[in-house]
Amino acid sequence: MATAQLTDEELSSELKRLGFSPGPVTESTRPVYLKKLKKLRDEQQHRGSRPGKTRNSGAINNNSSGGGGNTAVAAAGSGAARPANNDVTYLSNTRGASGGRPVLNDKRVASGGGGAGGKFVLGFSSDESDAETPQRRRGGPGHGSGRDRGSSGYSQQLAPNRPTGTPATAQKNHGGVAHSNNSSPGVDGRRRTGSVGWGDRAIPGRSWVSQRTETGGRGYEEPGEEDDIEGEEGNDSRSLNGSRTSYLNTSKLAGDYSDSDEEDDEGLSALDRQRDRRLASRRSHPKAASPPHTNARGSESLQEKTRGAIRANEKPGASSLDMLGYRGEGGDEDGKPRGPGESALTGGLLNRSFPRRSIYVSLAGDQAGAPTKDGSPSTYSSKNYEDGNSSPGGGSRFSIGLRPRFSNYSTLSRTYRPVNSNHTLHGYGQDPNKHKHSVPEDELLQQFKRDGVSSSGGFSAHYLSMFLLTAACLFFLLLGFMYLRMRGAGATDADVVSKYNGQNQDFKDHIYTSLKWILSAGDDVGIRLLGEDPEEPVTEVGQVLRLESTHPKMSFLCRFRRAFFTVINRVLLIIAVIALVLGLIYYMKYRWRREEDQSRQMYDMVARIIDVLQSHNEACQDNKDLQPYLPIPHVRDSLVQPPDREKMKKVWDRAVKFLKANESRIREEPQLINGANFTVWRWLQPALGCDRLSQIPSKVWQGKAFPLDRRNSPPNSLTPCLKIRSMFDPVMEVGENWHLAIHEAILEKCNDNDGIVHIAVDKNSREGCVYVKCLSAEHSGKAFKALHGSWFDGKLVTVKYLRLDRYHQRFPQAEGCLVPLRPSGGPGSRCDTPHVLPSLLPIKAAEV
Amino acid sequence: MSSTSQKHKDFVAEPMGEKKVTALAGIGDALGKRLEDKGFDKAYVVLGQFLVLKKDEELFRDWLKDTCSANSKQQGDCYGCLREWCDSFL
Repeated sequence: MATAQLTDEELSSELKRLGFSPGPVTESTRPVYLKKLKKLRDEQQHRGSRPGKTRNSGAINNNSSGGGGNTAVAAAGSGAARPANNDVTYLSNTRGASGGRPVLNDKRVASGGGGAGGKFVLGFSSDESDAETPQRRRGGPGHGSGRDRGSSGYSQQLAPNRPTGTPATAQKNHGGVAHSNNSSPGVDGRRRTGSVGWGDRAIPGRSWVSQRTETGGRGYEEPGEEDDIEGEEGNDSRSLNGSRTSYLNTSKLAGDYSDSDEEDDEGLSALDRQRDRRLASRRSHPKAASPPHTNARGSESLQEKTRGAIRANEKPGASSLDMLGYRGEGGDEDGKPRGPGESALTGGLLNRSFPRRSIYVSLAGDQAGAPTKDGSPSTYSSKNYEDGNSSPGGGSRFSIGLRPRFSNYSTLSRTYRPVNSNHTLHGYGQDPNKHKHSVPEDELLQQFKRDGVSSSGGFSAHYLSMFLLTAACLFFLLLGFMYLRMRGAGATDADVVSKYNGQNQDFKDHIYTSLKWILSAGDDVGIRLLGEDPEEPVTEVGQVLRLESTHPKMSFLCRFRRAFFTVINRVLLIIAVIALVLGLIYYMKYRWRREEDQSRQMYDMVARIIDVLQSHNEACQDNKDLQPYLPIPHVRDSLVQPPDREKMKKVWDRAVKFLKANESRIREEPQLINGANFTVWRWLQPALGCDRLSQIPSKVWQGKAFPLDRRNSPPNSLTPCLKIRSMFDPVMEVGENWHLAIHEAILEKCNDNDGIVHIAVDKNSREGCVYVKCLSAEHSGKAFKALHGSWFDGKLVTVKYLRLDRYHQRFPQAEGCLVPLRPSGGPGSRCDTPHVLPSLLPIKAAEV
Repeated sequence: MSSTSQKHKDFVAEPMGEKKVTALAGIGDALGKRLEDKGFDKAYVVLGQFLVLKKDEELFRDWLKDTCSANSKQQGDCYGCLREWCDSFL
């Protein structure tokens, strides 16, 4: 049974109800108690068919010393804390009763009386073959006529039911179908009253939580919900599986409510029915099952329900409307109902359950990973799974339409909300429909924005484009200049000055003046004056015989070619210079990094040697047979793997030298071991108590803080990318390669999951974030389950999903990663213990 | 009651003080290491867990199984050892 969303108190009271008095439920005892709860529930269920089962009671008997009478227990009725004694006796008595189960059921109902009594019973609803109507139906309205279903009130029901309803209770255990059979006649009336009575019932959220926990494909049915539904739908429900029946009933019930308020009963009830079906299926089936269910039925039922809900929503005021509205919220896929539904619900208690439910619905319906839930989920600001959790509750709520319930659920949602900060969905959806889609989008965006993705990538891209632009401009400028320059230095025919003189006698003076001016003007006016000797500079105007243009008329092609080559030459020159400079820089960096690497390795080696010696020393303290020194070569051979020995030789030598010079706690000395002379290391420091503390395992997985259930994890994995928080503290980390240790730790933790293709440790994040990409959403879901909520290195690790495109933006190198990573598990694989060298430690006689 | 081992006798004979978790009957090196990794590094921490589970045999056994994968015999030994210790000293 998935014990989803059971708080400690709930778990504790559940156990008490079952007749077992638990100790404190802490993180270490929780799994044990959950198992116990499961076992007890199984026991109770099977008790009817197997009266001889004594194991459980045997165990219980350990705890309980005596027993109140069965009657006492029965009379105790509604879930009052049953002393273990009573429970035990009760159990044993029940066995004697016809179908001990009924009694148990009663008990359960009674216990549920405090809240949803029918919790346990719910699990049975799927047993269609059982002709008995489960009385459990929350002791509430749906009790069959034969049963003493106190329709007046839940609490009342429980009390009177129990003693009298014993035979009926047995029926309750079974699937809703049975319910309908028996209860049909009286159910309707009861149901109505029952529904009303439900209002009286203060059903703690726990009730349907526990319901949920009873799975096994049982048709979990909301207490009361199912009863009602069954009563009405009797035959119909029978044809469906348990869950369906309950849904039908619920929907019927809802229909009842809606009938009074809505005109379109038919549609609504149909919707409700489907919705209930959906709800019930969701609730009853484990997470895995529910998506298919919802997919199968949910989509259309959701839509229908949505529509109905919308309709319901449009009619303000009635609480039933609210309920329907909630249901309509389920129609996330449509994206329509939510808006109005939510707004309608805002005022109501249902708000909480509703949004949750819708979220769940949307999640279930929308397998694409990007939850379409909009605002409504945000209310809970909880993870998707919350929705999943709440939806059953929500479903029950719907059917029951009990205000107190909703308040309970609200509380629950409130409690749930803080649990998942990771998947916070903001923006409770008060928005109209069109905002709905944008809201989850925004929420996701906000989530991802916090990741600080694309900060560096975008930066460099921007600069790159600018650089390219500038380079292009420069190139063209250069080309232009080259072109200009080309116009000179060409040898062509020089015009003879006399030709000019001869051409126009009138301008002879002008020509003379201009020639003179050209001479005096030192600038290049485009005319070169040539005398007799072309090489000699002209100083006198009289010497000028020829004029020559300094801008030779070259053919375009020639000019172009010349310009081109010049430009190319220049550019190549510049590039060569730049390349040279860059090469130098890289080389320097490389050398520097190499140096760093070497020293880091050396320090690492030194640390390991010290560790080894220290642990050996401690081992020697315990075991006097060992020599308090270790030969150096032996240490080397055990620390360095054979393939690496050649490579690490330099590092090793440096380490040895370093130790000799800088480590005061280790002394080198020659010793005779087995006839051979060895230089050994002796650890000198007397064992300090506090030294052991420093050996507290670091980078180690230390167990799970809470079991992963729908409350604190999404019902389905959304994307293949994960962001893991609190894996390390960047301030505390020393060394270069601690991030590899983190890689290893993650891979080791998920070593059954072959789908991790990329891991990136954000060394600068305060929160200690690690980004992981998996092959598929399913792999990431598995990794999520393995990692979320575990203790690592004294910190509680939380995981959330990231969008794939954002992940690729941030880590473009991850796009091409397809090979699953494997943990390398080197010596002293980090996950388990740091630097343990079993070969050097004495093997103690194993008791195991 | 089945015969008890020397370890059991040793443990039950005196207050556990700061004994390591491997001093418990049924807890050897491997189990002890696993317990230590989970944070139960001293015998009294395991005692604490035992008391928190209200000295219930089944629960304690389950817990042991979950925490360090102890087999049935080891669970039984450990449980018996702690229970006797509690009878004497608690």
